[in-house]
Amino acid sequence: MTDASATARPIERGGGMPKMSGEFSWTAALFVAPAVALLAIFLLYPTISTIILSFQEGLDNYIRLFTRDPNFFDVRSFPPSGAFWNNVLWVVFYTGGCVFFGLLVAVMATRVRYEALVKAIVFLPQAIAATALGVIWKFVYAPNDQIGLLNAGVGIFGIDPIAWLGNTSWVNTSLIVAGIWGSVGFATVILSAALKGISTEIIEAARVDGARESQIFWRILVPMLSLPISVVAVTLIINVVKLFDLIYVMTQGGPGSTSRTIAFTMYKEALASRNFDYGAAVAVIMLLVLVPVMVFNVRRFRADRVVQ
Amino acid sequence: MTAMEPAVQPPPRNFSERLTRLTSKAPIHIALLAIAFVWLVPTIGLLVTSFRPRSEIQATGWWTVFGGNIDFTINNYRQVLEQQNMLQAFINSVSIVIPATIFPLLIASMAAFAFAWVKFPFRDTLFLGVIAMLLIPAQMTFIPLSRLVGASGLGGTFIPIWLIHTAFALPFGIFLLRNFFITLPKDLIEAARIDGAGNVGIFRQIVIPLSVPALASYAIFQFLWTWNDLLMALIFAPRQGQPMTVQITQLLGTYGSEWHILAASSFLIMVVPLVVFFSLQRYFVQGLLAGSVK
Amino acid sequence: MTRFRMVAPIAVLALILTACPAGSSSNSPGGSAGSSGGSGATIEVTSLWGGAEADAFQAVLDAFTAKTGINVTYTSQRNDYSTVLSNRLAQSDPPDVAIIPGIGFLRSFAKDGLLIPLSEVGLDDSTLASAYASNLSDMGTSVGTVKGTAYAIMVKLNSKSTIWYDPSRFSDNGWDTPSDFQGLKDLTDQIKSDGKTPWALGAGDSWTLTDWFESIYLRQAGEDAYDTLFSPDGDWKDQSVKDAIDTMTSILTEDNVAGGINGALATAFTDGIGLVFSANPTAEMYYEGGFVGGIATGDVNTDLVSGETIDFFDFPEIDGSGLKITVGGDVMAAFTKNDGVAEFMQYLASGEAGKVWAQGGTIISPMSGVANGDYPAGVQKEAQQIADSKLARFDGSDLLPGGPDLGAVLQQALQDPTNLDGPLSDFQTQVDDAWAQLNG
Repeated sequence: MTDASATARPIERGGGMPKMSGEFSWTAALFVAPAVALLAIFLLYPTISTIILSFQEGLDNYIRLFTRDPNFFDVRSFPPSGAFWNNVLWVVFYTGGCVFFGLLVAVMATRVRYEALVKAIVFLPQAIAATALGVIWKFVYAPNDQIGLLNAGVGIFGIDPIAWLGNTSWVNTSLIVAGIWGSVGFATVILSAALKGISTEIIEAARVDGARESQIFWRILVPMLSLPISVVAVTLIINVVKLFDLIYVMTQGGPGSTSRTIAFTMYKEALASRNFDYGAAVAVIMLLVLVPVMVFNVRRFRADRVVQ
Repeated sequence: MTAMEPAVQPPPRNFSERLTRLTSKAPIHIALLAIAFVWLVPTIGLLVTSFRPRSEIQATGWWTVFGGNIDFTINNYRQVLEQQNMLQAFINSVSIVIPATIFPLLIASMAAFAFAWVKFPFRDTLFLGVIAMLLIPAQMTFIPLSRLVGASGLGGTFIPIWLIHTAFALPFGIFLLRNFFITLPKDLIEAARIDGAGNVGIFRQIVIPLSVPALASYAIFQFLWTWNDLLMALIFAPRQGQPMTVQITQLLGTYGSEWHILAASSFLIMVVPLVVFFSLQRYFVQGLLAGSVK
Repeated sequence: MTRFRMVAPIAVLALILTACPAGSSSNSPGGSAGSSGGSGATIEVTSLWGGAEADAFQAVLDAFTAKTGINVTYTSQRNDYSTVLSNRLAQSDPPDVAIIPGIGFLRSFAKDGLLIPLSEVGLDDSTLASAYASNLSDMGTSVGTVKGTAYAIMVKLNSKSTIWYDPSRFSDNGWDTPSDFQGLKDLTDQIKSDGKTPWALGAGDSWTLTDWFESIYLRQAGEDAYDTLFSPDGDWKDQSVKDAIDTMTSILTEDNVAGGINGALATAFTDGIGLVFSANPTAEMYYEGGFVGGIATGDVNTDLVSGETIDFFDFPEIDGSGLKITVGGDVMAAFTKNDGVAEFMQYLASGEAGKVWAQGGTIISPMSGVANGDYPAGVQKEAQQIADSKLARFDGSDLLPGGPDLGAVLQQALQDPTNLDGPLSDFQTQVDDAWAQLNG
């Protein structure tokens, strides 16, 4: 067994379909049937059913979502608000923040001997359930400056305690910061692996030519890492569209509905308020947003391949 | 191979060179130190809090323990386990997660094997269809599945959440494992066929033993994903079988500022993933990264 | 080699893991609890109560079991109650009986045919009407009725016209409880000028704000306007709504509220109680329902002495037409006709159950035959207030269909009191849509 396993390699060349081998046999059906049956019952059928449900009132649910539901989408003021807009904020700042810090940590860590330790520390939140992560940050943000670390911190500068999660102008920022904290490790690990693939000579040559570190970073590293960066970004965007746990634990979409996301809205509408067809329309919007992103992701190199 | 540092640099010859090097890198050390600090402190804060008595938590910040204000207790954990149903929730989590990890492992590897090495009609089309299901968000299925559970009479049992977790794990699992299986040496499988081995034999005796790393990554990912799952459990876990994630949100509703209870509960839920993290770090990272496309 | 090293831990892990489910499968609930006839049957009742409230309710359940031999399993769902209940119904795993906190929710269930009409569990309309205390009978029956069919019993209520304070601190500072609304404003100013913070507010739980609004609206705009507002004909853009919100925000200002508006918005209902009644109070008055007393003395600060260090005064009248009160309450409805359900519903609609429950000190029973002396001393005053009230109205936001969040509008109003038109007009749209959905 050891001997055979030595020949096994993780997906490296990722080659295409192997030539058909073996003859057709009825056992093939046996192998595929359980998976196909489960997928048909638990994914395919419900998806079709939800799409149909969302059109129960014609296009009404969709029109209502985008024109008459300020909790979902409100562009009458600037900046806009509502769950849909919040997701846009998340996409920009959470994705951007994770990629930026991920790259920063990855680049800096390569220059020190305790690289593995730093990366492990940053990666650790990936292991934590979003539920626990939510509690951790709810605690950091506690409005009482004898309990909440952040308010104790700003207190040093003479700033009165702020209700980070209770204040409409802070709540989304606060949530996004917690989200970034949880996901930088993912970006770091992938980008760091990709970084190892960049040849030392190019960087050394640039150094010899007198390039400054910041120039090396922006002119060499970032362009050379554009592929893994896009993989990381797309993965994080998918996270954002599905974002639910953190919102549920930390704010329940509040105060009011200022911190709702699309995924949270679906839960509230379909399950808490029993507006099933309306919630179905929200789910369909989630799907529509995800389709192009997922197509991009599946077509591009996979995150795991970048690591190899 | 390893880029940039430290391979390119010879070891320092003397103390002064070491010092020069150290100071030239001082900004990096400081920045990394700051980052490590920011990434550790929130968790440590809650950890410390989970061992402080309620009265202390409400009177002074957890950071005062570093100023000598040490008054630790394990009562919070005792209370959480005994009075807040966390022990039961832990058992429920395990009851949900084990089958929800084993089922997909089995079913996905079987299907992945067929997609990789068995010839059958519409194979590629079907495979593409399976991959396409990666993009279906769970929300798309809640309403019909709730009704389906109701119609099937399985409401209130663990069966729905097992099956739903399994189904949602399949597209990714089939994709991952099939991509791994096709890299297995073709000669080996052809030889077995010539020796008269059937598909079942090849699957069990060649493919599975050769694929332990991929299976482990997938299993760990699926294990963590279901362990940490809140959304599916909120909707499909039986009322008497709610896992720890759901139980914690119960405490949030009731004990909004009872940090001693929340902190201890949160650490209980983190224990298992952290154990996995430290013992199987490599596969853990691979599993999580591989799963990130999900 | 490397592969070998990792097989071992995986195998161990697998071993540990597969060992577990055998033990746990026993606690997978067996779907419908087999009900095997009359005495000895078991029914499941669910509500969102925990702590002292659950204990008091458990006493009622115990008394019921002692009387009938029917067992009752009580399941408490503290968070996201309505979603969980809704899910269980969708998955055909209903509790036999549930306490339903919002009437809008009751309507939604009734519309989907999920509720058992009371007439089918042996409670016809006249039996029910006479079960309630006479001054509460109209409210009780109308609250539990959807489109002419009675589905739910109003089993408990609390006054929502109680302002809680510490009498000893009031007398130390020479403050007097007000008798009219101007007096309340003057008291607020006086406390502030004495260097204290007048109000605590648990605005993080937005329903505390809807209670504020309703109390003011009922007193300022009158009961007819109140009834209209919380019906499908309600006009939320009406001046009376803005006036009530203005009155509210004129009291709950940045300076009058502990922690300022932002602090209040981050304060949960129970934390708000703590601001006035903990060992280190930072505010002097807290407006919320009669249940505050039990929570304050039971959970927040066990050193409190009712009548000495904690007491309430009536939320004062505004237009001088006598005391009108708002009350909050929960209704109870049946989702199955399993054995024991009818007996349970009938028992809960009796003064006998009301007396037992009353002794727990967490609720006021709307049932006739419960005397003031049946309550512990701490709640007798609240019971008396309700018994004496000439005019009681049910918590209006509970009458609205689920979904539109009046509390969110009020949270916004606290932060930006001058900008009411936009939020109210949005709210109107949502309420109209929700009513349409419910009646469509």
